[in-house]
Parts: sequence; structure tokens; C-alpha cells
Amino acid sequence: MISILQATIANNTDNLMVRDGKIYLVMTIVSIILVGLFIYVASIDKKISQLERSSKD
Amino acid sequence: MLKAKWWKVLSFVLLLYTCTYGFIVKVPKLDDRLRESIRNMFFHVPMWFGMMILFFVSLVYAIKYLRTANPVYDVYSSSYASIGLLFGTLGIITGAFWANYQWGSPWVGDPKQNGAAIALLIYFAYFVLRGSLLDIEKRARLSAVYNIFSFFMLFPTLWILPRLTESLHPGGQGSEGNPGINGKDMSMEMRIVFYPAVIGWTLLGVWISTIHIRVQLLKLKKEELL
Repeated sequence: MISILQATIANNTDNLMVRDGKIYLVMTIVSIILVGLFIYVASIDKKISQLERSSKD
Repeated sequence: MLKAKWWKVLSFVLLLYTCTYGFIVKVPKLDDRLRESIRNMFFHVPMWFGMMILFFVSLVYAIKYLRTANPVYDVYSSSYASIGLLFGTLGIITGAFWANYQWGSPWVGDPKQNGAAIALLIYFAYFVLRGSLLDIEKRARLSAVYNIFSFFMLFPTLWILPRLTESLHPGGQGSEGNPGINGKDMSMEMRIVFYPAVIGWTLLGVWISTIHIRVQLLKLKKEELL
């Protein structure tokens, strides 16, 4: 089963993720983490803005 | 709503560019000694650039505090120093991880490694000093003075001493042909990722610092110390 899977992946050279030593896979994962990090930082920023407004009132 | 600033978006765009194009940009062969690990330049080195810039901003606010005695500047100064220290710590961890594979050991006692560790320890002491003083005004004044000292300790530890001896890092004596990298090894293609990476990571550091500052200011306001 695993060997069939490996053979399928090895033959699947049309796929961008598999070609070029699968570097695109790493690239995508790092990008996902980066996007997640920025969403988190932006949401903290947003919450602090709300706190700042409520402390002014 | 998010405190919208164009540079926050710029930071995101530049880092997304770094984390995508940085993996596929053509890198120099260099007799196969670095291979793909040269891409560490887009992540490890910007940590140090970012750290130096954040520490410099911290120094500016420390001096501003000493001139005006405005407690807000103390908050600015300590926040920039703490995020700078975070960047430096990440820099030393990523460097050690890389060195384990390129130099054979995570810590080889390279002058720049040792110098960076000393520089970080000096900044850690800044927070020890802050933590040990309870009087707010005294803490702000003493730590601002110490901040100036610790910034100027970066000169010998990071910028002068590692350049005077043999070092595996770029810039040291006899750095030609070392198993690491020297400045000439960076190709033009790498530079167009490296400089945006430095700007992107630094802006992210500034963003996190401003968040830190705003939280501290809210806390001070709540305790009615401001």
C-alpha cells in the first residue's frame, strides 16, 4: 500500500507540490503559518483599539 | 477596528514575498557547501538586523526619557528593548540550529556567536534591573541610563571584536573560503529577497512593539499612574 502510494507520488510530476523536491510544500506551509501569525497579531491590535476607545469614555 | 497603518500591510506583503519567493529564488551553488541552507539568510540574518534597529529605537526613547522624565517614553523604551531581545533570542536559536548542520555543532565558540550571547545577556540584565526596582521613577531613570550603556556594548560585542579575529561569520578576518558565508557569496537574486526580508521582519517587530506599548499604557492608565 505504502509503496503504491510512493510510486503514485513519484510519477505525479505534473503536480507543482511534488516537482522540484517538494519545496513548494514547505513554502505553502510556511506561508500558512505566516498568514495565521498576522491574523493573530492583527486581531490583538483590533482588541487593544477597542480597549483604548472604552478607556477614553 | 484595527489601527490601520500602511506599514503593517507592507510588512505582511514583504514577509509573504520572503516566505514564498525566498524558497524558490535561485541561490548560488558555492561548491555545494551550503546548498539550500543558504536560504537561512532570509530568516536568521533579518532577526539580527531587526534586533539592532529595535534596540536603537529603544536607545532613542531612553535618551528622550532622560531629557523629559515623561513616563510614556520609559514604556516605549522598555517595550522596544523587550521585542529586540525576542528577535535576538530567535536569531541565536536559528543560528545554533543552522550551525549544527553547517559547522558540526550548535555552539562552536565563534567570536560572533560569543559576542552575540554577551550582548543578549547584557540586555537580559536590563530587565533584571527593571524587575528589581519598585519605585517607578527610579526604575525608569536607572534603566534608561543602563539602556544607553547596553546599546553601546553592541559596538564591541557585535561590530568590532568579531571582525578583529578569525570568524566563521562574514566580516571576520580570514573569512574567505570559510565554511559559512561571506558577503560576496550573496548573489543579486538573493539580495532582492534579503533586503525586503529585513524590512518586513523589522516592521513586524515594530508592530509587535507598538502592541506591547499600548497594552502597557492601558495598564498604567488603569492603575491611574499616568
